[in-house]
Amino acid sequence: MAIERANATERDESSGPSETKRSGGTDAAETDASDLDGEDLVLAYPEAPEPVIDGESIAAEPGAVTALVGPNGSGKSTLLKGLANQLAPDDGSVLLDGRDVRSMDTKALARKLGLLSQESTSPDSITVEDLVYHGRYPHRGFFERTTEADARAVERAIELAGCGHLRDREVGSLSGGQKQLAWIALVLAQDTDVLLLDEPTTFLDLHHQMEVMEIIETLRSESEVTVVVVLHDIEQAARLADRVVALKDGEVRARGPPEEVVTEELLSEVFRVDADVVDTDRGPRVTPLRARHEE
Amino acid sequence: MSRDGPTVGGGVAGGRAAADDRLGWLFDPRLLTVAAGSLALVVLAGLAQVSFGAYSMTVGQAWRAVLDPAVLLDPRWLLNFLVGEELMRAITGFRGELPELARETLVVWSIRLPRVLVGAIVGMNLAVSGAIFQAVTRNELASPFILGVSSGAGLMILLTLVVFGGLSAFLPIIAAVGGSVAFLIVYAIAWKNGTSPVRLVLAGVIVGTVFNSLQTGLFFFADDIGVVQSAIQWTTGSLTGTDWEQVRTALPWTLVALTLSLAGSRQLNLLLLGEQTAKSLGMSIERVRFGLSGVAVLAAAASIAVAGIVSFVGLIVPHVVRNLVGSDYKRVIVGCLFVGPALMVGADVGARLGMSVLTGADAQIPVGIVTGLVGGPYFLYLMRRQRNVGDL
Repeated sequence: MAIERANATERDESSGPSETKRSGGTDAAETDASDLDGEDLVLAYPEAPEPVIDGESIAAEPGAVTALVGPNGSGKSTLLKGLANQLAPDDGSVLLDGRDVRSMDTKALARKLGLLSQESTSPDSITVEDLVYHGRYPHRGFFERTTEADARAVERAIELAGCGHLRDREVGSLSGGQKQLAWIALVLAQDTDVLLLDEPTTFLDLHHQMEVMEIIETLRSESEVTVVVVLHDIEQAARLADRVVALKDGEVRARGPPEEVVTEELLSEVFRVDADVVDTDRGPRVTPLRARHEE
Repeated sequence: MSRDGPTVGGGVAGGRAAADDRLGWLFDPRLLTVAAGSLALVVLAGLAQVSFGAYSMTVGQAWRAVLDPAVLLDPRWLLNFLVGEELMRAITGFRGELPELARETLVVWSIRLPRVLVGAIVGMNLAVSGAIFQAVTRNELASPFILGVSSGAGLMILLTLVVFGGLSAFLPIIAAVGGSVAFLIVYAIAWKNGTSPVRLVLAGVIVGTVFNSLQTGLFFFADDIGVVQSAIQWTTGSLTGTDWEQVRTALPWTLVALTLSLAGSRQLNLLLLGEQTAKSLGMSIERVRFGLSGVAVLAAAASIAVAGIVSFVGLIVPHVVRNLVGSDYKRVIVGCLFVGPALMVGADVGARLGMSVLTGADAQIPVGIVTGLVGGPYFLYLMRRQRNVGDL
């Protein structure tokens, strides 16, 4: 490879992932992070007769982490796609800092809003570093080459995602968890104000789940990025998020801080399980007891 | 790499950016090897082409004829070949007779060398066109002709030869137009709130089938066997009788198409990450896909216009190159510029001289037959070796 190693010279600008503690609620008003509002969204797939989401509104708190939870098929990924402008709403609108995302230039939007999809494909022989560089696409003109700013953003992203040791590896040779870190580095390199993550921890082993959660916690403590994350694991959601939105059958059933949303009633109503919920200093702890069978 | 301390790591931020600006990626050892090997092949095959034939000469004579200073150092002769006599006179203001050339030089420069050049140009175009189509459809089995280009061109060729005989002077342009129109039809059929790679390929197969039936039907309306033979030459691809005229026809379009494809290589790389990722990174995917397909059609049309429909080159070459230099499309495109001509010029040696070596008959076969004979088994070999052919 003729590519020189390009380690960032300034590493002092962020305190690094080691200092991630719960900051105990973010002071949203103080940040200049963007807000993302979905208003009365009706989202449907062309081949399906009924809309998946039929007129729901959702607001992501600026600089905070909002978690979307719900059972399979509840529409959380669809809602996220709608917010990311990947799925055009039949009705309603998505506003990013007050501007309709559909009126924005695609590249301009991609500089402000990043999306990590559930499944991503790439050629096997691409290196992690080259993959992460693709995250700079929206920042470059058609004929522009990479700049120093690109190199810095990529460095920061690789460091934040903790995949520096993988940078010269080919993506095809990585484990599922390592791949996920590389893809997270790509969306981080995109350097957006809003980050939408679709089930970033699903299918990962415990270690990589924790790695991903630490990345999100770092973003949360920096309060510069508005994060919306779809999570399968309600306990993870409670631990990670400032706000939790619970969906079922395409409807928002509850929203608010984790302590208010993650309750035994909600688990029984939305997830159809009987569970014990105990408040701990790491947020609510959920112990599922049994599945509820409808009579 | 280790990330155990803030001081670890050589170089500065932007080192890569600078390397990128300096075209550092070009000096990849694998790419250099591929380029050098292919060049050697082109030179060898080219030498064989200029040495042997009805007027035979030794390799040394041929070599001297190619490097004859009477041509190489005389801009009038060079321009005469490259842009044609009229333009040469317009550019240089030269009125008299051109100085006479040695017999060998004349044979080599006016008959045999242009054929090698046309072969190289066609090889480049087809290879790059195939590489682009494979990225756009995200399918390794795509080729310039999967999206209906060849069937459209073939149908127009036959229509011209059989029905509108008077237009055969414009055959190259008509063939290229036919290919482009067929591609537009394919795109229109595949369009339904946007396209998808699978729909594009399916529409290409459908249009191809219909057009091929029409082609076969047209054969029944041909009055004499000569028309049929010339039609077959066109639809299998042949370099027989190509001249500087063909070089002049293809070269400008080739330069445009190849420049655009190099410029588009970053978009191609992003397309390989899948539609969703490309979209979320802000690519206007339909515009890029259509534009790049247009570039690929242009490249294919340039080669169809001078050599007809040569099979398998556009399918095989990108494959070979990707196996040799990796999936980065900047390198793949550059690699195609070398490997394409190597295959095409090499195959043309077989097409032009093979029959006289094998049977002693002084006959040439269309080069498309040779590329098919070489390409088919190679593809079989790939299929056996790789478990998942088809995934890009």
